[in-house]
Amino acid sequence: MAHIIFDDERIELDQGQTVLSALLDKGYDIPNSCRAGACQSCMMQAVDGNIPDSAQQGLKETEKAQGYFLACSCMPDEALTIAAHDQSSLCIPATVIEHTIVSNDILKLRLKTEQDFNYRAGQFINVFKDSLSRSYSLASVDGVDDLLELHIRRIENGIVSNWLHHEIKPGDKLDIQQASGNCFYTSETSEEKLLLAGTGTGLAPLIGIARDALQQNHAGDIHLVHGVKQVDDLYMHQLLIDMSQQFDNFYYHASVLQADKVIAPVTTESIDKLILNIAAKPSEWKHYLCGDEIIVNTLKKKLFLAGASMSNIFTDPFISSSD
Amino acid sequence: MSSLFERIGGEAAVNTAVDIFYRKVLSDDRVNEFFDGVDMEQQINKQKGFLTMVFGGPNNYTGKDMREGHKHLVARGLNDSHVDAIIELLGATLTELGVAAEDIQAVADIANSVRDDVLNR
Repeated sequence: MAHIIFDDERIELDQGQTVLSALLDKGYDIPNSCRAGACQSCMMQAVDGNIPDSAQQGLKETEKAQGYFLACSCMPDEALTIAAHDQSSLCIPATVIEHTIVSNDILKLRLKTEQDFNYRAGQFINVFKDSLSRSYSLASVDGVDDLLELHIRRIENGIVSNWLHHEIKPGDKLDIQQASGNCFYTSETSEEKLLLAGTGTGLAPLIGIARDALQQNHAGDIHLVHGVKQVDDLYMHQLLIDMSQQFDNFYYHASVLQADKVIAPVTTESIDKLILNIAAKPSEWKHYLCGDEIIVNTLKKKLFLAGASMSNIFTDPFISSSD
Repeated sequence: MSSLFERIGGEAAVNTAVDIFYRKVLSDDRVNEFFDGVDMEQQINKQKGFLTMVFGGPNNYTGKDMREGHKHLVARGLNDSHVDAIIELLGATLTELGVAAEDIQAVADIANSVRDDVLNR
């Protein structure tokens, strides 16, 4: 007999009953609207059990990979355990192993956790200074790198970024939370062409996603475009050039708005023009956009209007806080 | 006799049509100002709900939902000409997908049936 486990309660499902209807019958207040698998307002996450394919129609690959499903279209065959609360709220201690300034205002921080820490390269974690937290994206690859790697831009008057830049040193402990976010590589179609574009420390998740894809033997071309204002703002430049020499299908482009000398891979072409030159037919590509929120949203709209499918655009917009 | 929703192609057709339809909406100066600054992912999901409804698929929208959901747009000047434009773009989307003319008319009729709710009158 099919049943679900939700909030430690076992709930039996009637023949042909959906998870949404069972939860509503029990009095749980589950957001929902169309009840037809379209609006996605009843999206939930399974932590154990088999999700029927029909409950994941129309979801992004990255959502499927994390066990998300639509409760209104879900009629499980057996048992399904559903996450009642956001699992990501637990704090996890981490130790600073490396603290290196890699450009003008960017710190590379590498952390070690005592307990197992599972994530997808490109997802982000919250880092705490007392009760204040900021989100930073992961440049490292789970299962390949021993340490978690973050790139932290120092923000003028930023409480957390200045503290990480100037006060934190190797050996110090900090609190972090589980990784979240939908901007990561899925290996379903390894032939696909990938466009990875971002500005500033948006490079962190993009490097993670590129290395993750290459490590999983992605066969299609991968183009990484990093947009910055000045040449001094480029970082990990040599590593990316080395990667493009090491892998036949990896290409690196640096879009530098103010540059005196323009030698490939550096170009002064703006990032929005550059990506549409590279991915001239955006519908044939999978797109990953990271960094400044306004730029990410602008690029997303341009790619979509030029033919990219919304389900093939993955974004990690950095939302800056006032302090 | 299969239903309109089945003839159009069900959920799979909704997922294909939504990109084409939303692209047309964002490119059309008659209506795109109403979509400035909205979260594109959320908007895509809302439009899937809308397409499911007008394709004659299963839905639980009520007149009240339609009124509440568009009230702020009516306040910004949403009127019949915008609804006409949306129905036109819907038709163009379905033509592109090879849907038969009589089915497109049936879709337009469903869309028209919620016009007064959308325009809050």
